[in-house]
Amino acid sequence: MALQSVFVIGAGVMGCGIAETIASHGIEVYLIDKTTRLAEKGIKTISENIDREIERWGLTNSDKRAILSRIHPSSDLALVSEAQMVIEAIPDRLEPKQELFDELDRLSPPSTILVTNTSTLSISEIGAVTRRPEKIIGMHFLNPVTKVQIVEVVRGLRTSDETYQYIREFAELINKKPILVHEYPGYVTTRIIVPLLNEAMHVLMEGISTPEDIDNAMKLGFGFNVGPLALADMMGLDEVMAWMENLIGELSDHKYNPCPLLRKMVRAGHLGVKTGEGFFKYDADGHRIRNNVVGAKAEVEE
Amino acid sequence: MNILVLNCGSSSVKYQLIDMDKEFALAKGSVERIGMSASVLTHNPHDKPQRKISREILDHIQAIDQVIAMLLSEEHGVINDKSEIDAVGHRVVHGGEQFEKPVLVTKDIMVELRNLIELAPLHNPHNIRGINAAGANLENAPSVAVFDTAFHSNIPDHAYIYGIPYQLYTKYGIRRYGFHGPSHQFVSEQAAELIGRPLEELKIITCHLGNGASISAVDQGKSVDTSMGFTPLEGLLMGTRSGDLDPAIILHIMAREELSLHEANTLLNKHSGLYGISGHSSDVREILEAVEEGHTNAKLALNVYCYRIKKYIGSYTAAMGGLDAIVFTGGVGENAAQIRSQCLTDMAFFGITIDEKMNASHSSGIGKISAEDSNVGVMVIPTNEELVIARETKRIIEKG
Repeated sequence: MALQSVFVIGAGVMGCGIAETIASHGIEVYLIDKTTRLAEKGIKTISENIDREIERWGLTNSDKRAILSRIHPSSDLALVSEAQMVIEAIPDRLEPKQELFDELDRLSPPSTILVTNTSTLSISEIGAVTRRPEKIIGMHFLNPVTKVQIVEVVRGLRTSDETYQYIREFAELINKKPILVHEYPGYVTTRIIVPLLNEAMHVLMEGISTPEDIDNAMKLGFGFNVGPLALADMMGLDEVMAWMENLIGELSDHKYNPCPLLRKMVRAGHLGVKTGEGFFKYDADGHRIRNNVVGAKAEVEE
Repeated sequence: MNILVLNCGSSSVKYQLIDMDKEFALAKGSVERIGMSASVLTHNPHDKPQRKISREILDHIQAIDQVIAMLLSEEHGVINDKSEIDAVGHRVVHGGEQFEKPVLVTKDIMVELRNLIELAPLHNPHNIRGINAAGANLENAPSVAVFDTAFHSNIPDHAYIYGIPYQLYTKYGIRRYGFHGPSHQFVSEQAAELIGRPLEELKIITCHLGNGASISAVDQGKSVDTSMGFTPLEGLLMGTRSGDLDPAIILHIMAREELSLHEANTLLNKHSGLYGISGHSSDVREILEAVEEGHTNAKLALNVYCYRIKKYIGSYTAAMGGLDAIVFTGGVGENAAQIRSQCLTDMAFFGITIDEKMNASHSSGIGKISAEDSNVGVMVIPTNEELVIARETKRIIEKG
């Protein structure tokens, strides 16, 4: 596949992760946001992410130079007039996405594939505002994009086989295992993980066990890398609740009812890692604060 | 027939355009320090002055674009049209068990090559990028892959089997493969010529010391053991690779630092070796300079580097039950007299003595550096992996 460059719209957490992943596989990336300042802030985010990875021996300084040299920040959406492929990664709401796709449809050549990075929205609905629904497709990257090895490739009702095949090949090019999804609320990942997190919250709310033990049960019992409550904290409890509400709105099935404890915590502003408190507590760098001072003392006394 | 040979190493691309009717290089050159500051493209046409350009060249794709432009350039080039390149021969590091011989690259072969990436994460991706970049630039020239591993395909099982459950060999092909095959092959043939005896009578140890480094025991012209193993990570200490290591160490570090597979892999391949020990550089020249300036860990890195080589020479002498010659080749082996000397210190018991004066004054080309009374010949032989690759490429193309 001869792919010279990819345009990523939106320099938030997801946009930056997508841009870094693509650039680290030798492809030029134009990272576009509303203002040059926002786009350049994205570059700073990526630079810091790479520094952390160098400290963990995962990348080298020359990797960093090569990756950063391939990412070009800009605020000029009209650049997509040269694009083979555009990946949209703006906040996950329908109207702004539709507005953007309408604009991309007008600015880019008819052959350009337009990809939306969404975890819940309908590809068909986003594509409906364009004159090329067959070239509209979803790629649901998971955070942190550089580390998670899968991407859900979501086919809308009118997405063509060519577009799907092209994006599958693209996913493999950037070393992600593509997961086929025929558009349906929650896709595969969100649909399965969200009820699991919700159930863990019910178990906690009903006083059946402690947060630590619930997470240990799933980690050590079933081989999860992260326990469900810690995972919910990482994702953001407001996000988890939004996904549940989206699922119940679409499917009207009571099994997607957000756990009352989740609602209460979101209302209290305890949103997880990003606010420093969720089911566990976190310091300013997002590292978990372990309340095991007492246990540690006991150990020393032994 | 003109064959373009591309040798994409971890931080370099070496190329030669060879006229195979005369086995004559129309142009040769290299792109060095790819991805580092101030990359250098050195282009040597056979009939024009050398052309050297320094600019930022960040990856192998950019490097090959530049090489092809240089070959076609009006001022410095050696051909007028791309069609004068009849085929491209690629060095491919890992051939696994399925590639014991060179092969014409097709779409299916590319799939198989990509599947081998995890065996040689530092090299096969660059080799594959080289094949892709060449394919995009030279649509009509077929590509042939020549494997580093092929020369070692005769190693006996007692040298290629690891001490782990045998089913891992049958299931995943986990065994010693060895690398730098064309280089070990070429310099051992050259050594026999220099000695003036048939290769079939000789026991030779070939030390290929470059950015990557490996050492081979070549008995009667066949590789019977080599220091690199399942991947190019085993054996000697290298620029950024650890070489031999107690395998439990990596399990221990992964657990303590909660490293992912990828991070552990990069730790061993890119943050270790001379660079890891010295904390200073992965480049032997820079390490030697730092040692002069009194850098303690650079000195330690250098000592570890040389000690490993010495140990391997001893063990391969035992493995072959004798030794006629030691060959140094590769960037370091050909140029670093101090390292050659340090590796062979106090080896008189083995019949190995070098002439320090000849060693120190050897500047370029083929040269013997062993003392008059040394039982074992020690020599410096510039490698020519490119010619080996071009010959194999020609053979495959002509076969059709």
